[in-house]
Amino acid sequence: MNHLTGFRQIAATVIVSALFGCTWEETPIDPGQQVVMPDLPLGFPMPPIPADNELTPYRIELGRRLFHDPILSRDSTVACASCHHADKKMTDGLAKSIGIYGQTGIRNSISLLNAAYQPYLFWDGGVPTLELQVLAPIHDPREMDFDINLVVERLRRHPQYPALFRQAYDADPSPYTLTRAIACFERSLYSQTTRYDRYVYANDTSALTASEKRGMNLFFSERAECFHCHSGFLFTDFSFRNNGLYEKYADSGRARITLNPADVGKFKVPSLRNLAYTAPYMHDGSLATLQEVVEHYNSGGKNHPNKSVFVLKLNLTEQEKQDLINFLLSLSDP
Amino acid sequence: MKLRYFAFFLILSAGFASCKKDDHGETTEMVKLHLHTMVGNQAANYTSTFSNNGRSFTLSNLRYYLSNFVLIQDDGTEVPIAGKVILASPDEHEWELGLVPSGHYSGIRFLVGLDSVTNHGDPTVYPSGHPLAPQTPSIHWSWNTGYIFMMVEGKVDTTLAANGSANANFFYHIGLDQMARSVSLSGADVHVEAGGENSFHLAFDLLKALQGVDMRTEIKTHSMDNMMLAEKIANNWPQSFTWE
Ligand code: HEC
Ligand code: HEC
Repeated sequence: MNHLTGFRQIAATVIVSALFGCTWEETPIDPGQQVVMPDLPLGFPMPPIPADNELTPYRIELGRRLFHDPILSRDSTVACASCHHADKKMTDGLAKSIGIYGQTGIRNSISLLNAAYQPYLFWDGGVPTLELQVLAPIHDPREMDFDINLVVERLRRHPQYPALFRQAYDADPSPYTLTRAIACFERSLYSQTTRYDRYVYANDTSALTASEKRGMNLFFSERAECFHCHSGFLFTDFSFRNNGLYEKYADSGRARITLNPADVGKFKVPSLRNLAYTAPYMHDGSLATLQEVVEHYNSGGKNHPNKSVFVLKLNLTEQEKQDLINFLLSLSDP
Repeated sequence: MKLRYFAFFLILSAGFASCKKDDHGETTEMVKLHLHTMVGNQAANYTSTFSNNGRSFTLSNLRYYLSNFVLIQDDGTEVPIAGKVILASPDEHEWELGLVPSGHYSGIRFLVGLDSVTNHGDPTVYPSGHPLAPQTPSIHWSWNTGYIFMMVEGKVDTTLAANGSANANFFYHIGLDQMARSVSLSGADVHVEAGGENSFHLAFDLLKALQGVDMRTEIKTHSMDNMMLAEKIANNWPQSFTWE
């Protein structure tokens, strides 16, 4: 069986066998418990997957259900999906997310597609793994305002969850299995093959328009400098940079973790895939459109002692700005 | 049949017994730590009103991590107790530290807080009931992945003349790798031997940890947002523990 399509086939098998309910005796191994490979778009490498949390259809499905379930929040009103919507590529369309009791948060929601490749999570990189990340929104008084042990208590009393956890992890709901299941679901989320990918990885020279190709050359040139930070197949080198948004940052960014003044205003370079769906932009959602983003970079940004040397006045023509925007949009899923 | 059961139980109980012989034929004993959490000369609790230089305060939460224990024998031999972590609070006074060779011990050394590897590890891998597992209420920062080494919360009288009542919230959350402090105590005489009490008796005095803290104005720190205050408290830790 082809590994890349294995997941879909097994998922189909699970559904079929669930429908007929009689195949269990004939199949010695429950396909829902079989390790599957993620379904990756063209050109993407295999992401790192922890040995204690390999992907299986049961785990992914359990994680998906938990991700959409407000049971994780104190008053059962907020789910992970409240701020990570599938139709917005797992962001929420707001400048700053709104959490429990209608509270506005401090940052712009981040797309969870391709999160499996992130070496650390959040705009400031404060959390090292997807498993550990699950604790943060549950405990954040502005997001879910709850407690992982209390979530687990609810799940243990739930009519369905205990059985689903045993199917997926051969164990009861616990902080360990809860965080594993949600992380497992997240590791099944990827962007799709874009026109840009067909151009690069399938040598389809007609996949991009002339304007997009000009924008691409600009993006990768020493003239616009974008590629220094937005490099690799996700268009991020995962470094922390100050791109000159402000003279004074209300959010200290990476310095919140390191407490190092040289890190003030530095944020994890975001991926540029799916920008068409993930406005507004930047850590605080302060730029509403890609026009505003390109104007920001064209202006060279504000003065800040930590601003990267690659953010400088570009003097782009109107045509060049449009080409750059068109190129950025070609990185979005069809 | 009966004999076989008996043998089984014998093996089972050997595994749990507090005294056993190690590979070198040396006997080892389970040593205990007795630790009382004090506010001056009163036992810390969540109902009394305490006084810090005449300023009244109450406590609603007082928990702290101790780890990396090393027991020191009379001749200076150090016996580290690997992996043992204690989450101390007014509610608990006694912990088993681990098996150590019998003999005469004069000192103890430990960390208030955690080493950086443990500090940044995944709390969910520990079984429930383990001090490093997620606690309720939480004693872990989830957005930068690290434990709070000492959590002190309560209410304090913030009137200038200190003649009001304790009704303003205060909290001291001390964490971050650089806040861990080593505590060293010597001059004790603990005999670790078969059938002995085998306990190290210590006291932690919160008032000593708050020495130099003006509880009228210095009422909160999450560590990163008020490093000066967090450091002031952490720097007091080595002097806040005494033999009891
Ligand atoms: C109230 C809105 C809200 C809720 C609820 C929420 N998130 Fe988020 N999420 C955000 C915001 C905002 C960010 C960026 C925060 C930051 O960087 O500090 C984020 C970031 C993330 C990231 C980091 C992505 C990256 O590439 O760095 C992951 C993973 C994530 N969320 C998963 C979850 C999961 C799992 C849940 C449920 C347990 C959840 N979120 C609940 C708003 C929310
Ligand atoms: C010095 C590194 C660096 C360079 C050069 C750079 N960027 Fe960025 N880019 C960043 C960082 C860091 C952020 C996030 C900053 C923040 O939120 O404060 C960002 C954010 C963005 C965003 C918003 C993405 C989102 O999801 O919010 C877009 C779009 C973008 N950059 C495009 C570009 C383009 C186009 C160029 C070239 C003209 C460029 N960048 C050059 C580092 C860089």
